Amino acid sequence: MGVFVFLPLVLPLTAWPIARLAELHLHPRTATRLLTAVAVVMALCSTVCLGLLMVVGTAQLPGNPLPDGWSDPEVREAVPYDEVAGKIAIPALLAVVLACGRTLWRHSRTHRRAHRALAGLPRTEVVVLPDEAPYAYALPGGRRGRVMVTTALLSCLEPAERRALFAHERAHLARRHHRFLIAVQLAARANPFLRPLRTAVSYTAERWADEDAAQAVGSRRAVATAIGKAALVSRGTPVPTLAGLAAPGPVPRRVAALLGPAPTGRSWPPVFTSVGLAAWGAAAGAAASAMSSANSAVSMFFILHAATPL
Amino acid sequence: MTDHPQRPRRRGQGELEALVLSALREAEGPATAGWVQERLGGGLAYTTVITILTRLLDKGAVSRERAGRSFAWTPAADQAGLAARKMRKVLDGESDREAVLASFVTGLGPDDERLLRDLLGQTRSEGDD
Repeated sequence: MGVFVFLPLVLPLTAWPIARLAELHLHPRTATRLLTAVAVVMALCSTVCLGLLMVVGTAQLPGNPLPDGWSDPEVREAVPYDEVAGKIAIPALLAVVLACGRTLWRHSRTHRRAHRALAGLPRTEVVVLPDEAPYAYALPGGRRGRVMVTTALLSCLEPAERRALFAHERAHLARRHHRFLIAVQLAARANPFLRPLRTAVSYTAERWADEDAAQAVGSRRAVATAIGKAALVSRGTPVPTLAGLAAPGPVPRRVAALLGPAPTGRSWPPVFTSVGLAAWGAAAGAAASAMSSANSAVSMFFILHAATPL
Repeated sequence: MTDHPQRPRRRGQGELEALVLSALREAEGPATAGWVQERLGGGLAYTTVITILTRLLDKGAVSRERAGRSFAWTPAADQAGLAARKMRKVLDGESDREAVLASFVTGLGPDDERLLRDLLGQTRSEGDD
């Protein structure tokens, strides 16, 4: 397997161009699906390879419970720099497992608590909470999920903008955006090089809901002003950014996109454009990841099979 | 703090119900009868508080849920407010809630506010045309 076992760890870098270009050039629906698929494949492959390296690493540990054959020279020779790589792989894989477990646990805890908080109320799809803090969330779960919005946020919106807000949150629920979001979060935990994809997907999922909402209420401007007003009224917590690098944040970009023309529904970009090349590059990277990790897993299986009498 | 009656005196049924209900409304969530009794300043017997709460329950003014061996009581009219307070607690406890719940809007960066006002101002003038 040689150097192939390391490739899936760094191949996520091939997805960086598309993570940057997708939001400008692809329909948000296509962008969300493509980036999530790439992130999931790459994260799985990277974790498999980390696992293979860990096997080599644990075989070197004195007193390990593995069969003696596992620490044979043939096994160790299968991985370049086996001593260093194996030793690093053990804590790395442990960190990945812990981080993913923690993410899932926090996710389900918040989810459970939020549902419990609404438990006393009638089972309506939209829940209006009397609160002076302006916020709105889509809460998935149950038969169709619920939309919760506070009176403070509703009071600053015109009727058309309220419809836009509800349409946006309903789109999140109907399109099951929470699944994309949790998938890319776990992927980013599995391999830090996938973090730009997580950032990109959390933006494109919002854009997807914005576009759905614009179609549902029949006015791109109503959605744009709803987002703008909601952001201005809830601006209590500014995002910490370096002042010199302050590129426009996600909210102004969403508003600007809605004030522009609707994105075309074309699903895959033409090859000889920057975004086409970036998309194909990421797809090739994901395929290479899959092949490298499959190659490594199969070779490791045969080496271990030959080395151990099992 | 509300004024607590210092010594017991005779009160009408309606007044007692109002007192108990207002005490319940001051609670940060469901409260037990013992809590209500303490809150009212000891002027009422525990059984009296229970009697009044049960009467309020019959009227639909409060609801109760089992909490261990006793009941936790909530003013019925305040279910939405209670849910809002609970939800705030959930959201405040979650340091990066964006990671869990997709918010309608995220926070604004330093230049975003100006940018956003420009964009919205532009819309408004277009809308006026």
